[in-house]
Amino acid sequence: MNSFAVWLSTTFPSVFLQTHEAWAIPIVQSLHITGIGIAVGSALMITLRVLGWAGTDQTLQENRMRFGPWLTGALCLLLASGLLLILAEPVRELITISFWLKMFCVAAMVLIFNAYQASVRKHGSHWEQTLLKRRSVRLAAVLTFILWGCIIILGRLIAYDHIWGHLSPATKA
Amino acid sequence: MDFSVLLKSLENSSLASSLRSSLYFFPFLEAIHVMALGMVFGTILVVDLRALGFASKNRSFIRISSELLPITWGAFAVSALTGSLMFITNARVYAHNTSFQIKMLLLLLAGLNMAVFHLTAGRTTAKWDRAPSAPGIGRVTAAVSVGVWIAVIFAGRVIGFTTTGAQAKEAPPPTINFDDFLSGTPGDSAPAPSAGQTKRAPVDQR
Repeated sequence: MNSFAVWLSTTFPSVFLQTHEAWAIPIVQSLHITGIGIAVGSALMITLRVLGWAGTDQTLQENRMRFGPWLTGALCLLLASGLLLILAEPVRELITISFWLKMFCVAAMVLIFNAYQASVRKHGSHWEQTLLKRRSVRLAAVLTFILWGCIIILGRLIAYDHIWGHLSPATKA
Repeated sequence: MDFSVLLKSLENSSLASSLRSSLYFFPFLEAIHVMALGMVFGTILVVDLRALGFASKNRSFIRISSELLPITWGAFAVSALTGSLMFITNARVYAHNTSFQIKMLLLLLAGLNMAVFHLTAGRTTAKWDRAPSAPGIGRVTAAVSVGVWIAVIFAGRVIGFTTTGAQAKEAPPPTINFDDFLSGTPGDSAPAPSAGQTKRAPVDQR
């Protein structure tokens, strides 16, 4: 991974971003955080509806149709800005434990989100009548939202990977 | 109290010293600050898009705002607390940082914009609660709100790029000893570290 990160840092798009890092990185990071705001707002609305704490004037299907596309769009913005951030600083991003833990959480969250969307699309009434009443489903909704918290915290900790001590590859690099 | 004295006393407080000397406090404060700000922006965006008539057009505005605004305020409180704690770790540098000053002005603007909404379209929500969008002034304040909060995110992020590694500068001594110039040992006149300054943990912030 070290040699890949070093190679990536010599490619044209990476060199371009490094050359213009004074304005490019703050702008891309700000877009990334804006995407996080949209994603976490949409995820919160879906979670609150599943828990029955807000948006109960909408069916689960209506709630999914309202916030699902916004969450998907925000994930696309996060992916695009995230890739640019990796290109801009490959070693700083890829050689950290925080980054890989974040990617693990993102992968888990995307799988859960897609499975939820597909299931509500096909079995909306079963969700409304049975699944929403299950404690396990409500617990899963809370845990998925906590996963968003972990993603955000780990994302910011990429800048402070030293907090992991010897577990951080950045301390050995 | 003189503002610079207040800033220095904040920086020299025992709380600021412990935050500065820890490897862990600042990163976690910043991470929680970003998470809280994301919640503030995300929930405000849902309400503003409803007022603008871009989304949830068939839902009650009063219902959406009353369900979400307590969460917005809670997240804002967390954001303000973590922001204040980060501020005191290096108060003089932040206070004189242009991006920080812009961010504070933008927060003030967001507050004023909210006041304008409450004094205008906010007074008649019962009339347009089920309408596809808020009346003219309500749509203007909603659009301003979205723009201002995105600008808050941008200004906030730039702070990290313009303060990293910066340390508060001591004011020059009020009197100049000309002997220092004549002796040719300028290093001797360097100010000693002030009392209460603690060792700083390495901070990236970028």
